[in-house]
Amino acid sequence: MKEIIAVIRMNKVSATKKALVEVGVAGFTATKVMGRGRLVEDLSIIAERRKTLLALSKEDEAKTEKMIVQFLDGTRLFPRRMFTILAHDEEVAKIIETIIAVNRTDNKVGDGKIFILPILDAIRVRTGETGDAAV
Amino acid sequence: MIMVRAIVRPEKKDVLLSELSAAGFHAATVVDVVGRGKQMGIKVGDVVYDEIPKSMIMMATPAASKEKIVSIIIKYAKSSGEGSFGDGKIFISPLDGVYTVSTGATGL
Repeated sequence: MKEIIAVIRMNKVSATKKALVEVGVAGFTATKVMGRGRLVEDLSIIAERRKTLLALSKEDEAKTEKMIVQFLDGTRLFPRRMFTILAHDEEVAKIIETIIAVNRTDNKVGDGKIFILPILDAIRVRTGETGDAAV
Repeated sequence: MIMVRAIVRPEKKDVLLSELSAAGFHAATVVDVVGRGKQMGIKVGDVVYDEIPKSMIMMATPAASKEKIVSIIIKYAKSSGEGSFGDGKIFISPLDGVYTVSTGATGL
């Protein structure tokens, strides 16, 4: 048994839910979280994004520039959705593939992370079943 | 690799996150949680508050960084002086794998 913790974009939640049902995983828990990733070292990755943000603003450039730098320097926490999925060992690879395929965007950063943790035991409250049968 | 889950006072969250970043542990996920500890919550007169708000900071790190990250959390999450009840707990669990969605790469 494995616990799959996936931190993904808010606007990818329904697509992810749909894709999970398609691979046969209906049960999961989702929580609103705030998070940040690794610092962006290669600024060319976010150059395009920065240009779009600058174009969006009507304010004077220096002010906007300052705000965008604060936004992109990595100290800010961004809202994300955290999925917790319990899965049998042999299903893990398939689920990871699905989550990656659905959540990948062209933004290059901020698409999220997936963590795999071992689970010692699981118990279904209704029947008292334990182990793999409970997942 | 390990997953560090630290439950800390919400007011200590910001300073802790910036100190962790300064020490090279930048990536983190923060969840607002409520909970109680061994002290059975806070009793004020007849009223017991046992859903005390805390922040849970989740971080995936190499196992070798455990001591360093734990010492930073303990140093900056502790209340001034000797610390007090309610400063929080740190949980460490093993981590079998990490995947980055944008690249599909494995590992931290």
